[in-house]
Amino acid sequence: MRKKKISRKESRELTLLSLPAVIWFLLFSYLPIFGVAFAFKQFTPKPGESLFRNLFVNSPWTGFSNFSFLLRSSEMPKILFNTLFYNVIFLIAGIVLPVILAIFLTELHSKRISGFVEMMLLLPYFLSWVIVGYCLYGFLATDEGQINHILQFFGRNAVQWYQSPAYWRGILILIGLWKSTGYSMVIYLCAITAIDRSLYESATLDGAGFLDRTRFVTLPQLKTTISTIFILQIGSILTSDFGLFYQVPLDSNSLQPVTQTLDVYVYKALMQQANFSYSAAASFLQSSVGCILLILSNIIVKRLNKE
Amino acid sequence: MRKTGFLMLCILAALLAGCSPQKEKVSDDVIQLRFVTYDNGSVPLDAKEVIAAANQVSAEKIGVTVELEFQPKEKLNLLMASGEYYDMVFTSSWLNPFDKNATAGLFYDITDLVKAETPALYDSVGDYWDCAKINGRIYGVPILKDMGAEDMFRLNADYFEKEKGMAIPDHMAFSDIEPFLKAYKEDHPESYPLAMDKAGLAGYMNFLERIVDPIVVIPYDQDTEKPRAIAFYDCEALMERYRLLHKWYRAGYIQPDAATVDSSMTDRSIPVRAGVAWKGYQGYSNPDDWGFQVKTSIYDGPFLSRSSEQGAMTGICAACDEEHVRACLRYLELLSTDRQFRDILGYGLEGKHFTYLENGTVLRLLDGQNRYNTRLYQTGSVVNASVESASRDFLADPDQWKKVYEGYKTDGIYSRTGGFAYDPTPKEDIITALTAIYNDYAAELRTGTSDPDTVIPMMRKRMEAAGMNELLADIQKKLDDWMEMHHDEKKENI
Repeated sequence: MRKKKISRKESRELTLLSLPAVIWFLLFSYLPIFGVAFAFKQFTPKPGESLFRNLFVNSPWTGFSNFSFLLRSSEMPKILFNTLFYNVIFLIAGIVLPVILAIFLTELHSKRISGFVEMMLLLPYFLSWVIVGYCLYGFLATDEGQINHILQFFGRNAVQWYQSPAYWRGILILIGLWKSTGYSMVIYLCAITAIDRSLYESATLDGAGFLDRTRFVTLPQLKTTISTIFILQIGSILTSDFGLFYQVPLDSNSLQPVTQTLDVYVYKALMQQANFSYSAAASFLQSSVGCILLILSNIIVKRLNKE
Repeated sequence: MRKTGFLMLCILAALLAGCSPQKEKVSDDVIQLRFVTYDNGSVPLDAKEVIAAANQVSAEKIGVTVELEFQPKEKLNLLMASGEYYDMVFTSSWLNPFDKNATAGLFYDITDLVKAETPALYDSVGDYWDCAKINGRIYGVPILKDMGAEDMFRLNADYFEKEKGMAIPDHMAFSDIEPFLKAYKEDHPESYPLAMDKAGLAGYMNFLERIVDPIVVIPYDQDTEKPRAIAFYDCEALMERYRLLHKWYRAGYIQPDAATVDSSMTDRSIPVRAGVAWKGYQGYSNPDDWGFQVKTSIYDGPFLSRSSEQGAMTGICAACDEEHVRACLRYLELLSTDRQFRDILGYGLEGKHFTYLENGTVLRLLDGQNRYNTRLYQTGSVVNASVESASRDFLADPDQWKKVYEGYKTDGIYSRTGGFAYDPTPKEDIITALTAIYNDYAAELRTGTSDPDTVIPMMRKRMEAAGMNELLADIQKKLDDWMEMHHDEKKENI
């Protein structure tokens, strides 16, 4: 009886703690949902009237015509391919790489070294894409770039990197992983630390080596974390990191065949026009595809976990 | 539970307090206006101080004060689209588009009020009211400034004239700059003589009237019987410029990464730059800024069209009541007729930000350069402001505007479309798709990085697939209708 009372009090305190987050989500994620209407309206505001009135009373419904600018581009298949290509790679590599690194790090005995490595891997996460873009420019500039200096030192010809799309799928994947791996690794590191040590001890007593321990103890214990992150990621399968694909290649025209993702296309198409209906249509498409995939993958993962 | 509720109330109250509108109370007989203008990249540090000084004068003279805001392009777009209240706003052909906003009914029809309330303002604008008319009604006040685009090269005169003995003419053709570039490159094989960034040379496209910027154009020198709207890639003169630029790029006159560079201003030693200004403009010429004497040579213009005349305008909100509209007009009139008052908003405080020189021109002081360095067109009439000199030794002509406007009459190259404005709304999806395609290639095209003879066919193919011909047909139809109507109007007037 006493125990129950305490837990109720505890849960009330915990609920209170979550209040700021709840308010944040209400204000910035649930309240703006009405904005979906932008995607199906021809937005014609009248000055001096409220946004709600302008959107719901003054603007006529137009059905799906706001989506047509997306279909007008003959490049759409290529754009969708790019978006999916990079996202699938980041989805897989973004799980495999951090998990491997996290497992290695926990095996390190020296706390100092593992702490140092952890920090070094995490640091890039805090850099903004604009800064990363210019640092990369320092390496890849045709004239003053470090890499071309090195190439010329060895008697090779300088490369015009920003005009050579062939290299950029690799470069973008590398940079994307370099920036994000550390952050996801920390999540897995926490999950591994939470695993009961006695499991490892008994496994070692039974004669399990590093590989066996990883395979039979760590990975099965990580399964829930991995599937949660997988589900979260798949929800944004049509959304790409705008900074990575626009800022890092410095919006170079020649690189466009390999850097143009849906977000970049929408930005390029709309930056001169300020047509809110079109941008709402594009993001509505992204979110609804993401939402469907999220629900589907949630069902699939649940099924798999049951077996 | 009561505590929790109280806490929630507190948070909500705090959140709501942040959102509630705050209106400053001003005394009864003075009308306070919200005047939103373009920030041209940054808000001047001393803006508050300068506005307070200007308000003192305007309150006394006409009983109007302003709350002047400097806002970036995105904020202006949002201001128009969100239905937020304002009194006056910066609008133009190139930023916060006037034709689109006025057609959508966002601006006040001032046709009758401007004549009745502010005849001096009405007279000062004269023929240029035409560019602010939609279906014969006036929806904005054009700011008198340089009304036609004059495109020029800015050259290092110390090097070319004194060192190399090459004469820099007042006018030259676009291609005439080549020997200058060549001479510099031969002396400095490691540097790139033509300043270039991803926006391209300033004004290189001004010799085309842009109906849908920048993809549908009408060349000013088109020799067809009636004006014909064409796709930019069908303009041979433009293609010639792209070919020249590509030639210069390959010759090493343009830096190899130009298409990805944001600004070429970091290296001040570059001897040749492009600019858009007017005859007698000294803003490019201060030797202290560059480390050498600069001489300008005009390669194009002046071109005058509806869009060039719409270079800067002031729109009054359609939701204003008549009293506020009258106040707006009085304020704009004061800016256009009272030079002393105009100089405050334009240059700042006399003695702190600027000082008058003996010939009546203005010199910006150090504080003015660093803390209130706005462009004149941001705040009102340019012609009515005092002319700015580059330095004490390098005086500007205080009467330059008279000459510039006479120049428009004698040398001006006028559009043949007679103020035609295309309403893009019905074809907006095509234009959006075309813009995206254009942006896929444009930076490398205008910097000379790519070869137009390989890139243009690709653009043409994609643009035609995205509906270029449909757009052109629609524009041509509306243009023809307009020309016919306009022609009739002229007949009636005679």
